Amino acid sequence: MSPKQGFVLAGALTASLIAGWSYAVPPKPIDAPSFEKLQIFADILTIVETKYVEPVETQALIEGALNGALAKLDPHSSYVPPTTFTEQRKAARREYGGLGIEVIMEGGLIKISFALEEGPAFAAGIRSGDFITAVEGESILGRDLDEAVEGIRGLAGDPVTVTVLTPDQEPRDISVMRAQVRGRAIRHRVEQGLGYVVLESFNNTELTTDLERALEILSEELGGEIPGLIIDLRGNRGGLLTQSVSVSGLFLDGGEVLSVRGRKDIDTERYHAEAGELLPDMPIVVLVSPGSASAAEILAGSLQDRGRAVVVGRRTFGKGSVQSVIPLPGNKGALRMTTQRYYTPSGKSIQGRGIMPDQLVSALDDNGELRRRIREDSLPNALRNTDTSDYEEIYDDVMFPPETFPIDEDFQLRTAVDILKTSRYQDLLNAQSDLD
Amino acid sequence: MKYVLPVVGTVAAVGLFAFSTANQAALAVEKPSYSDTFEQLDLFADVMARVRSDYVVEVEDGELIEDAINGMLQSLDPHSSYVNPDDFLRLQEQTSGRYVGVGMEVTQEDGYVKVVSPIDGSPAKEAGIKSGDYITEIDGKTVLGLSLTEAVNIIRGETGESVTLTIARIDEEPQDITLIRRAVDRAVVTHEIKDGVPYIRISQFNEKAAPGLVEAIAQLRRDVDGKLPGVILDLRTNPGGLLDQSIKISSAFLDGGEVVSTRGREGADQQSYTAEPGQLLKGVPVVVLIDEASASASEIVAGAIQDRGRGLVMGMTSFGKGSVQSLIPLRGGRDGALRLTTQRYYTPSGRSIQGTGIDPDLFVSSYPNDGEDHTRMSEADLPNSILNEDAEEIVDDSVTEDGVTDDTTEDAAEDEMIIDYPPEGFVIQDDHQLQQAIALIKSGDYDQRLAELQN
Repeated sequence: MSPKQGFVLAGALTASLIAGWSYAVPPKPIDAPSFEKLQIFADILTIVETKYVEPVETQALIEGALNGALAKLDPHSSYVPPTTFTEQRKAARREYGGLGIEVIMEGGLIKISFALEEGPAFAAGIRSGDFITAVEGESILGRDLDEAVEGIRGLAGDPVTVTVLTPDQEPRDISVMRAQVRGRAIRHRVEQGLGYVVLESFNNTELTTDLERALEILSEELGGEIPGLIIDLRGNRGGLLTQSVSVSGLFLDGGEVLSVRGRKDIDTERYHAEAGELLPDMPIVVLVSPGSASAAEILAGSLQDRGRAVVVGRRTFGKGSVQSVIPLPGNKGALRMTTQRYYTPSGKSIQGRGIMPDQLVSALDDNGELRRRIREDSLPNALRNTDTSDYEEIYDDVMFPPETFPIDEDFQLRTAVDILKTSRYQDLLNAQSDLD
Repeated sequence: MKYVLPVVGTVAAVGLFAFSTANQAALAVEKPSYSDTFEQLDLFADVMARVRSDYVVEVEDGELIEDAINGMLQSLDPHSSYVNPDDFLRLQEQTSGRYVGVGMEVTQEDGYVKVVSPIDGSPAKEAGIKSGDYITEIDGKTVLGLSLTEAVNIIRGETGESVTLTIARIDEEPQDITLIRRAVDRAVVTHEIKDGVPYIRISQFNEKAAPGLVEAIAQLRRDVDGKLPGVILDLRTNPGGLLDQSIKISSAFLDGGEVVSTRGREGADQQSYTAEPGQLLKGVPVVVLIDEASASASEIVAGAIQDRGRGLVMGMTSFGKGSVQSLIPLRGGRDGALRLTTQRYYTPSGRSIQGTGIDPDLFVSSYPNDGEDHTRMSEADLPNSILNEDAEEIVDDSVTEDGVTDDTTEDAAEDEMIIDYPPEGFVIQDDHQLQQAIALIKSGDYDQRLAELQN
């Protein structure tokens, strides 16, 4: 990838999801006079400054102008003002003061689902599977998860006392010093004897590292080998291009992951997986939803195109464009602009089309919801795909949860498990290559 | 310079904007040379250059800059906008009050085009399009993502061509209505005798408004064969128009004296507009009807008549657009024109109606008090609308006075506000507001009610 620019496959709908940030682009010479209408713009700006009914801030006017121009290009291009830009760079590092644990609610208590090895809780002897029953001596019972977590979080450097219950042991009070901890980009657990990882976004620069480590842990927990893996990308709106490439690379032995193309075909860049595959024979199901966008679509698309995974769920969002975040000289914020389209290894653009799952599965009952989804091609000013061939979900192919299926259970996940545990996995893989 | 008070949120929708070339020289002299401006322009040029060189597809420079100009002006207030050369030419043709289209004033809401009011005698009105209707599609294509100007340009066209609008109403299935475009001649003044009471409706303040009023009064005099027993001036749903027309209309009711004053940024360029001496309707009782969609020039007329004690204002609180836009041609119109909010206006008693509107002397509702919300959008609801200076002052006062709130007369009035609703079973189409205006003039209570308000 180009060493100069930070490519971002950011959230499908908002700029607030920008996480990627890398290097400044040297400013190019400006040949402003060649803009015929720039003079009109300057004239209007001057008139507004002198004549408007109220005093005006030039900076605000320019921001309004930039937003007006960029919003018209496409839904993903925008101007990022200096203060927002600074905040976004901070958010990209996702640091907060905490104990380095991931928690869920179980039986009215906080259960540790994962303790980061470098976190202070881990150092104090707290492990996955432990429960927290009280914070600062106050019982957790009756509180919801957010309230309970609120008490645990705080300023780095301040201690917090938690009452920890390890099953079959007496509860004990442990004082832990809160620290700046990096939030993990993934969650993992064993699901019915299979490995299950949830990737919420691709915004974190440590995503691939976190995933590798989670796979190691899963492998240990499953007795040395993961019999099958579910990668859950539902609702994952994307993030960093580099992370989608390196995650794909974990499961592919070399070869193309995707290519990106700018305005001219000559700008094409190809991204390849590293040689050598982490877990070559492990079957993989990728779960996707209409909210899976951008970098998530790259991962699902490359594993599908390369015949490495079966994709299950609903047709994805269809954001096939790459935005560059270009810092503007003089601390003037940044320009976030669509500069490229990307293509899956088979050369398809997913812009406006998305990734079609090998097995269509609906999370919800057949209630007409199939037809009411916001997708990339329903956004105003969205880029068009040159490929206009028919690409709709075929209603009859969609699996719906049976009427008796419990509402609080995950039908798509259940189906993914079923596929991995039966010959259907191989059938669906074979069907992929039949199409090619 | 000629000032315009454009219709509510309308961008070139009805073609009712005056223009002039008088002010260009003056503006050029005042050009400031702030270094900040140049720095910001550099930033702008830098971004534009990068878009041109690196955006994923080729971009047309002109469109890019025009979108930027619109973005800048929209960030100011809902009434400032750029008029491109094509639209400017069209605008010049339309100042006379004639244009080719379907005849409706529109605004934008939630990305859709919303009808403010169909113009009397237009294809839109004839086809049954109503105030408050949403236009979701034009010729089968969604309006989402279009600016108001773009949408309006698509709706407009050449005489004889048809356009199909998809109309959505609350609680109704969307319906397609096909309209044939034609020259909409804006008969903006209509008159008739209603139950023996002379009635004049002004639907818009274009150049035909004042002459139309004079003609209407003459015609009504002939109809009643002598002295007018009273006049109902209906300014409901009138979204405004030209400032000079509002002065001339007010002159028919006032014998000299101030109608309105305008003030620019520093208050320095304050200007007072006065009525011509002598009045056309001397001694004739006047009831002015206003509603939530009476805006701008309508509010000037209603405010002047109210403040000068010349008549009774009846109906509901008006829209609240207290700003004046100037239409400033760029390079003699070759680069189009800038419609910019340059002034606020004040009624003769010195109040600004920006964001607050004119409260009628007698609150009368068209709709029953059925708990349903019949209120319409007002200026204060528009995105980025400018604040009323009085509102800002009130905030400051409360700080300095240590939180002690002074019960202003306005608040007191609000507490006592009694709204006359139509009786149960009243048919809305029978127009309760108009019935009450007729009843007031016929009852002979008019003088007493007016005198009460003076005290």
